[in-house]
Amino acid sequence: MIEVDRLTKQYGSITAVDRLAFTVGRGEIVGLLGPNGAGKTTTMRMLTTFIPPSSGRARLAGYDVLDAPIEVRRRVGYLPESVPLYLEMRVREYLTYRAKLRDVPGRRRRVAIDYVLSRCGIEDVQHRILGQLSKGYRQRVGLADAMVHEPDILILDEPTAGLDPVQVREVRALIRELGDRHTIILSTHIMTEVEAVCSRVIIIARGQLQVDESLDRLQSARTLMVEVRGDGEPAKSIIQSVKGVVRARVVDHDETTVTLEVELEAECDPAEQIANQLVRLGVGLRRLQPRRSSLEDRFIEAVGQANLSSDLDNSSGAA
Amino acid sequence: MRHVPTLVRRELGAYFLGPMAWLILLGFQAIAWLNFWDLVEVLARPQVGLSQLSDPMVTYISGSMPFWIAMMVAIPALTMRLLAEEKRSGTIETLLTVPISETEVVTAKWAAGVIMYLVLLIPYALYLPFLYYQAEFHFDLGPIAALSIGLTTMGMMFISIGVFFSALTRNQIVAAIGTFVVMFLMLMLTFLGYRYVAGRGAVWAEALKFCSILYQAYGFGVGQLDLRVLAMHLSVAIFMLYLAVKVLQSREDRG
Repeated sequence: MIEVDRLTKQYGSITAVDRLAFTVGRGEIVGLLGPNGAGKTTTMRMLTTFIPPSSGRARLAGYDVLDAPIEVRRRVGYLPESVPLYLEMRVREYLTYRAKLRDVPGRRRRVAIDYVLSRCGIEDVQHRILGQLSKGYRQRVGLADAMVHEPDILILDEPTAGLDPVQVREVRALIRELGDRHTIILSTHIMTEVEAVCSRVIIIARGQLQVDESLDRLQSARTLMVEVRGDGEPAKSIIQSVKGVVRARVVDHDETTVTLEVELEAECDPAEQIANQLVRLGVGLRRLQPRRSSLEDRFIEAVGQANLSSDLDNSSGAA
Repeated sequence: MRHVPTLVRRELGAYFLGPMAWLILLGFQAIAWLNFWDLVEVLARPQVGLSQLSDPMVTYISGSMPFWIAMMVAIPALTMRLLAEEKRSGTIETLLTVPISETEVVTAKWAAGVIMYLVLLIPYALYLPFLYYQAEFHFDLGPIAALSIGLTTMGMMFISIGVFFSALTRNQIVAAIGTFVVMFLMLMLTFLGYRYVAGRGAVWAEALKFCSILYQAYGFGVGQLDLRVLAMHLSVAIFMLYLAVKVLQSREDRG
């Protein structure tokens, strides 16, 4: 659905997006994650044909953003970060105007607008003036606008920014629902949002792709936390003798108990064997728990690496 | 181009939902009334000599300083928000990510501006039937026709200049000042410049006179519809709109 190849955007000497490459399949919900200034918005603007890339290609629904921008725009619904609206217009009037611009045929327009109004939960404000609506409602009007022409692809730039917790939950639920009919890219810097909504994560930092993995893989347990009574050394050697364990190390201990962190080989789950062995050899097993490598850890790691490598680049450049 | 009517309708809606259009209309109405008063006064005066004969339409519009000053204020005020406001508020981002072209956007903005400009001139037209039927002053219709056509193309040119400056910046004031300066050059400097150089026999004096909006309007006022002048207005308009489209397409500073 979306193919991005070495997409680059330079502003003068600053490279905002650097040789980004990824593909998104139909029906995927992809979270574009990155710290502020990582190039998320620039990437989305290039995908929506608002700004042209400096080099590289991007194809959405089979159309190139440079060669056929109008065709791309027909198939993409875009919610910009700041949710710009014409504040003097009324909700329904605005959506009608936008539907006309998006070539929704006249006989379908009314139905399409009724549909997005109810889908986004803004039927009760449809005759209110946009300027008088709260941030949450405006956000949902923006979302309704982005999907009024039933696009194949939805590109949402920080769709939950500035909403209260209840609204955040509603919008997330809505996005999840939309995933069955649309391919969605959403940007955010909130980890829990990605975990709650997305099936896949793309982390970019300093304009470069750092991580591109499905959320399941990213979250699959590769580490066990084991808490045993008494001294840690015998337990450690027992655990290390189990097949599938890379290594174990003591991470915490108090007077009576020791906590070990056990690293596992990929695609391998020897938790039961570890428990069996420990109990059989008389070690007091108090707790055995898979520790999910949190998205946040990966994020910090990826961003840290990006900063490190760019620092290295700079110092080598200086030398 | 099929989106242009939709865009124009929204633009006109935005004009009338804000105070600006109403204020400008009120101002123009007041000036039109003053000008009409003046015209009636002049026409009522007994004609004593040939030197005092003046064409009514020249007195009414072409030679009226208040009219031109109002024009220099009103056109920047009408055009400044057309694109600059979209850029400032960020709505340009939603506008240029729906399947419409930059040319459609610019054309629609310009068309809305031209319609507003013509609306401003309605008060002037409204008074004339009174003069014709009520006061039974049977003036020539030729100068009125020439003036209507000439002022329309002139407005098309001015509005296109305003659209261009509005495309350049996200600051409405900057757009208004740019438009004002260009209008000032076209109206005042060409006029004064011609007056200054004509006496010295400079060869380009005629060129200056041809470009002078005030002389063009005088020509319309006496019933001369010079097609070269119309061609100039329209070609400047098309050129400025072309530039505005190019500015909008070079999206570097859109954000």
